[in-house]
Amino acid sequence: MRVDRRTFLAGSLGLTVGAATTALLEKRKYHVIRKQARSRVAILPAESYSQDLEQILRSGLDLFQLDVRGKTVLLKPNLVDHIPGNHINTHALLVSAAVECFRRLGAKSVVIGEGPGHQRDTELVLLESGFSEELRQLKVPFVDLNRDELAATPLLATYTGMNRIWLPRTVLEADFVVSMPKVKTHHWSGVTLSMKNMFGVVPGAKYGWPKNILHWKGIQESILDVCATVPVHFVIADAIVAMEGNGPFNGHPRPLNRIVLADDPVAADATCARLMGLDPTRITHIRIGAQFLGNASTEKIDQVAEAVCAPANPFDVVPEFQHLRLADSA
Amino acid sequence: MHDTQELNCACVQELIDRQLPEGGWPFTTVTTQWAVEPTALALLALPSNSVRERDAAIRLLLHTQNANGSWPAFSGDDGGGSGLTGLALYALNRCGAQGIVGHRAVEWLLRTKGWESHWLWKWKFRTSDRHVRFDPDKFGWPWMPETVSWVAPTAYSLLALKHARGISQQDLAQLRIRRGVEMLYDRICPEGGWNAGNGVVHGFPLAPHADATALALLSLASEPPNNFITASVDWLERRAETCFAPWSLAWTILALDAFGRPTALLTDLLSSIVDPAEVTDCATLAVASLALGGAHGPSIFGVNS
Repeated sequence: MRVDRRTFLAGSLGLTVGAATTALLEKRKYHVIRKQARSRVAILPAESYSQDLEQILRSGLDLFQLDVRGKTVLLKPNLVDHIPGNHINTHALLVSAAVECFRRLGAKSVVIGEGPGHQRDTELVLLESGFSEELRQLKVPFVDLNRDELAATPLLATYTGMNRIWLPRTVLEADFVVSMPKVKTHHWSGVTLSMKNMFGVVPGAKYGWPKNILHWKGIQESILDVCATVPVHFVIADAIVAMEGNGPFNGHPRPLNRIVLADDPVAADATCARLMGLDPTRITHIRIGAQFLGNASTEKIDQVAEAVCAPANPFDVVPEFQHLRLADSA
Repeated sequence: MHDTQELNCACVQELIDRQLPEGGWPFTTVTTQWAVEPTALALLALPSNSVRERDAAIRLLLHTQNANGSWPAFSGDDGGGSGLTGLALYALNRCGAQGIVGHRAVEWLLRTKGWESHWLWKWKFRTSDRHVRFDPDKFGWPWMPETVSWVAPTAYSLLALKHARGISQQDLAQLRIRRGVEMLYDRICPEGGWNAGNGVVHGFPLAPHADATALALLSLASEPPNNFITASVDWLERRAETCFAPWSLAWTILALDAFGRPTALLTDLLSSIVDPAEVTDCATLAVASLALGGAHGPSIFGVNS
C-alpha cells in the first residue's frame, strides 16, 4: 500500500490526537465513587416478547431483594424512533412488565421517562411503537424528558470539561432510577447499553435534537459524566431481540433471547458486551466506568442466574469498532 | 368537538388559561418554568383580540433577551443563546414588536454559525470524520453555541431573517440566508424530507421526520420551486396519511397548506385527535391551534401572510 505525504501526516496527527485523548481519558476526573465491592447480574432466558415477561422479571427481581417501598421509581427505556421492522426501542411489553413488578414491590410511584435524541415528536414515537396503548392500560405516567422542567446540576465527573448540566426535574426527584436499554451496537459509541441509554435524560429543550454538545464534548466522556451525576440504581436490559451492525437506527435484529438484570450499570454493560461477543475492556466508557461507577471484571460480578456465554459469532459492528469483537482479538 | 373553528377557540382558551403570570408558557402543565418555544408558538397562535395575553407574552420576550441579542431556551437558562432565537424573533416580528430588540437579535443570528463553518472543523469533516454525508461549506444555525448546524434552528432562523425588517447588514443577511437554504438542501434525506439533520450516516439513508420536514419547508416556501422541495412536499403528503400525533400532524398541515396542497382531510383528522384539555404540551397545543386557525384564514407561516 502506498502512503502519500498528506495521508502520512494526517495519520500521524490522528494517532497523536488519539493517544493524547486516551491519556486524558484515563486520568482520574471523578468526584464520586458509586462502585460496590461486588455486583450482581442475572441473565434470564426469554424466548420472545409474547412470553409472560412479568413472571420472568418478578422471579429475576427476587434474586436482588430490592427495597423500593415508598420510593419514586423512574423507568428509563430506550425510545429512539419508530422504524417499522427495526428493533430499535426497548420493547413496550418489557417496560409494562417492569411497571407491574415495581408496583408489586411497593414503589410509591412508577413513572416512565425518556427524551429521544433525534425525533422531536416523542408522542409520535410512543404512538407508533405501541407504548401509548400500554401506558393507557397501565395508567402509568410518561414524562418527555426533553420538555420537562430543568435544573442546573453540578457534574460529579468532569471528563467533558463541563462543570454542570441541566437535568429534568423528574430525574432529579426520582429515588430509584432503572435504566432499560435495548441491547444494540452504535455507530458512534460502539454499543448502546445501560450507560449510553442515560443520554436520554439530557434534555433536548436545552441541548437540542440531537444533543450535539455531548458529541462535541466526546461521547465516551459524556456517558461517564452523565452516569456519575445521575446514579443508575438498577438495570433491566432488553436483549430478547437485540440489534447488531449499523445501530442504533439501521442495524439488523439479532435475537439473544435474554433479559439482563443488574444492580450495577457497569456490570450490566460489561455482561451485555460479553453476550454480544464484544470485549468490554475495549469499550472506553465501560473500562473507565469500572474505576468508579461499577464493576466490569468477571471476578467482581456474581452471575446469579445463567452464566455468561459469548456467541460463536460476535455481533457485527461498523468498521470503526471491529476491534471490539472478541473473535477478532486473537 | 369536530368543528375546527370551535375547536380552535377551545385551544386558544386553553392556552390563555395556561399562560404563566410572567406572560410565558411552559412546555407542560406540570411546571411553571416558561420556555421560549411554547411561548413564541402560543404568541403566534393567539388571535389579535387577545390583547392582554399577547402583550404579556411580548413583554416577556422583550425583557428576557440575552445581552448578546439571543434568547435563552427557557427561564433560568445560560446567556449563551439558543437555536430558538429565530423563532422568538419571528414571533415578535409577526406581532409587530421588533425595534431595537429585533436589531440585536438579527445581529446575533448573523454572527452565529454552525461550527462546521470553522476552518478547523471543516478540515476535520473533510479528512477524518466523514461518516455523515454533508458539505461543511453549507452551514446554518446550531441548537446551542459551539455545535454544528441542525434543521430546526436553521429553519427558525431562516424564517426570522426572511421576515425581519430594516436589516442594516443586508448583504450579510442575504449571504446567510443563501447558506442556510443550501444547508437544508445539503442535509435532505435521499427520499425527500428532513430529520434532525443527518440524511445519510455510514452510507445508510436515515428516515425523514414529519415535523422537521414541515418546518424546513415553511422556511423554504419563498424559494423557487425545485426537486428538493417537490420531493419533500410529496413525502410529507404521503407521511401524513399515517400520522396521528398532533405535533407532527399540525406542522404537516401548516407546510402542506403553504405549498397549496389540500389539507381539509388532515384538518378533520387533527380535529378528531385533539382534545385541548388533554394536550398537556403547550407547544403542541399552540401548533395545533395554528393549523386549525389556518383553515379559516391565511396561515401565520403562509408565503403571503
